[in-house]
Amino acid sequence: MRVEQALRLLPNLEALLPLRGLLLTSARPDARVQWGSGGPYLTVGKREVEPGELARSMGRVLTVVTEHINALFGAYIAALECQERGDAPGAVSALMGAGRLEETVGRLSQAQAWYEVSLALAETLQDRHPEIETLLSIGRTSLAAGEYAVGARHYQRALVLSEAEFDRGAAVDASVGLGDAAFECAAWAGAQAWYSRALRLSEAAKDRLRLGQIEHRLGLLARREGNLAGAGEHLRRSREHIEGLDAAGAARDMARVLDAQGELDAALGRPGPAAGAFREALAWVRRDQHDPALDVSIRLHLAELLLATGRWLEADEEMRRAEQLAITSNQPRGLVRIYTALGTLRGRQGDETGFVFFEQAIALCRAFEGPAVDEARAFHAYGVFRQVSGNPDEARAHLERARDIFRSLGVEAEVERVEAALANSHDVDTPAAGAG
Amino acid sequence: MSRTVTRSAQSTTNGLVPPTRAATGGVRVLAVGGESGPGPLQSLRQWAPDLGIDLEWAADLPRATRLLAGGHWDLVLAVLGDRSDEELTWWVDALRAAHGGTRLIALADRPSMGLALRAEKLGVLDLLALPLKREALATALARVRSAATEVALPLPPGEGDTEDHYALVGQSPAMLEVYKVMARVASSTATVLILGESGTGKEVVARTIHQHGPAATGPFVAVNCAAIPENLLESELFGHEKGAFTGAVARKIGRFEQAGGGTLFLDEIADMSLALQAKILRAVQEREIERVGGGESIPVTVRLIAATNRNLQEAITQGRFREDLYYRLAVVTIQLPRLVDRGDDLLLLIGHFARLFGARYRKAIDALSDRALELLRNHQWVGNVRELRNVIERAAIVVSDGTLRSEHLPDELRAEEPGVPDHTSGALPTLAEAEARHIARVLSHTGGQIGAAAEVLGIHRNTLTRKMKEYGL
Repeated sequence: MRVEQALRLLPNLEALLPLRGLLLTSARPDARVQWGSGGPYLTVGKREVEPGELARSMGRVLTVVTEHINALFGAYIAALECQERGDAPGAVSALMGAGRLEETVGRLSQAQAWYEVSLALAETLQDRHPEIETLLSIGRTSLAAGEYAVGARHYQRALVLSEAEFDRGAAVDASVGLGDAAFECAAWAGAQAWYSRALRLSEAAKDRLRLGQIEHRLGLLARREGNLAGAGEHLRRSREHIEGLDAAGAARDMARVLDAQGELDAALGRPGPAAGAFREALAWVRRDQHDPALDVSIRLHLAELLLATGRWLEADEEMRRAEQLAITSNQPRGLVRIYTALGTLRGRQGDETGFVFFEQAIALCRAFEGPAVDEARAFHAYGVFRQVSGNPDEARAHLERARDIFRSLGVEAEVERVEAALANSHDVDTPAAGAG
Repeated sequence: MSRTVTRSAQSTTNGLVPPTRAATGGVRVLAVGGESGPGPLQSLRQWAPDLGIDLEWAADLPRATRLLAGGHWDLVLAVLGDRSDEELTWWVDALRAAHGGTRLIALADRPSMGLALRAEKLGVLDLLALPLKREALATALARVRSAATEVALPLPPGEGDTEDHYALVGQSPAMLEVYKVMARVASSTATVLILGESGTGKEVVARTIHQHGPAATGPFVAVNCAAIPENLLESELFGHEKGAFTGAVARKIGRFEQAGGGTLFLDEIADMSLALQAKILRAVQEREIERVGGGESIPVTVRLIAATNRNLQEAITQGRFREDLYYRLAVVTIQLPRLVDRGDDLLLLIGHFARLFGARYRKAIDALSDRALELLRNHQWVGNVRELRNVIERAAIVVSDGTLRSEHLPDELRAEEPGVPDHTSGALPTLAEAEARHIARVLSHTGGQIGAAAEVLGIHRNTLTRKMKEYGL
């Protein structure tokens, strides 16, 4: 049975998400289709699942789910016990632990729910640090979910409190978070101001890892602003700070910096060094606990580089490797990005059947309740694809959907980009447009 | 523009490929050890002068990646850590991207049979057990050196347009039979059913029939029924009216209508649901269609060509394909041969694709080494011409002069090179090794489907699962 058929028999219930994940990771490509003319269009929906195999793997998944729920229940009981003996900070800490557990497994809205409960309690405490910590956590999960305005609001509150409490570490985190929110909304000047502030605070604390992380962000920002030389300088400094650090997660940060270096080299028209940086980034990803989401992201950038240099076959192979990784490591969000990119690739090749990738990306967003921002990006790319393939009505519908989602998220920069595409669509429709 | 070309394989004149550094002696080796030092590779430094190795060492993967990007290496000796399986895949990926055909020897503490089989499948030159033995390394190095002396054979010359993606190339008896049927059917408007394994060129045949038929001036519209999500296939074929379903934002003209006055090619037709088969049958019989959500019957004048890689008779018996539709489609049937049954067509196709991709990547490829030809001849080509096309395109990307050599072929193909030593024992395989190898082969054939593999092996799936666990597969 195909995954697309199996998914149709599974109601869209939150409680069944682990089963949906199991379906994804158990999916295997149909060897007969792989070399067939349908091979280039294979998506996870066209993979095969065996009910028997699902049944056999179910025990393992149920154990993980049970352990997770056990830990959540445990955290809740711990919070109750703390409350009963008047230890409200302890209760906040237990609730925060539950939120972190949810965050670790990618359940962002559930994590936010725990953090909200924690925040309500933390606000009643005299010590403001638990409240700051909770606000930072809500900010982080909101940004991850693409809710940038919500994230910024919480980071702002965290910043005010941390400054009042002279908590420099938290002030750095809040400033970085505010910078990230501004960055995602393309408010470059705002992002620059927040990152610079965070950098100054970190320099005083001589926290090399944090300095490296902020320089990395400044590098990304400079590249977005078109200041490629400045971006290179920030990334060089970032590497200097992080290289040689044994701190947990340092290898992952190094991978991120090299990934950014690869993108910068690509922008500078240096495909060789860019590919080298991406490959080295993939090597760093392997050093710590493997982060499949980061691995997928780097591979996508590598594929984009290959695509830009006309190496379509290799781009396709790289995306397929990323797809395999995303499937086996249960990364539906990564898959959405991959299929959006594959659809775009097929569009550039003038291949109309490439629409199947966008359909799959959107279906995955819905089946796995991914962040709305991913769905908006898929609709945006789908709209452009349909524009190029000469379907203006469908193009407009997809672009309008993308615009509405971006608008609901408050991402005005993206709204403007989509509106520009919509204006193109209007030009295509109206024969008189552009004639005069 | 499609065309049918038959070419004769030219007699070849041997010419020598300039020897590489490895062929003449010095093998440039990058040894990648554990995090804390060279460890098990310490003795390598002592052996290096005697073995003719130019050795460098990297402590970890990131450093190794930098060194790899910085120069040409004949061989990487990588010590695998705790996650040996993942690391092996990482290395194969990394070396695939490194131009120049760098080979990999993986070193592992007591390598499991599963790891050995995986290494073999991935085309790793060798998997050696730690502690490293001098003789084992010397044998592997000899293979690197011998692979570096390949003789170039000129490729058969091409004719016509090198950019023609849809040329039918071949002169084997099996293909001549196909051409005869095509010639008979092209001038009519009869429905054609093309059968053949994946990648045998069904769409190329369909295009050629269209271009030599009465509807040649009309459009050729191809629909891949296996690629399109099941719930969208109907509207893709027949179109839909605005508001027919969620997402039907505007009226859509389906492929049947788009192909009006031309040919509609329905590829992978066996992948269609029975309900949709009934609608296709109606369209074929009555020559009219209805858009989804529309009540109006729309006449369509199209020539229908269908194709599948499945056994339709079997599908009919199992109730998965309508018998009446089969007879409607199979007015004329063309059976395409597998690539392995096409003899010297292989060389003609290699020449064709080498020119096609040589032009695309701006490289003048005019020769193929003897070893590469041997590997290509010995390959099973489950993906037929499409797989060959991919292999030659990949080779065209990485080749630096005019000769395609074995080092430009995918690792999987190079893994099939005769004389690859047994990775685990070095002697005749034990019964367990042979069994593990066979299970791995069957699993690979079934795309990892345990149920299907158990069926092929004739054992219960629980037994297979147990054996897979036992052998680390």
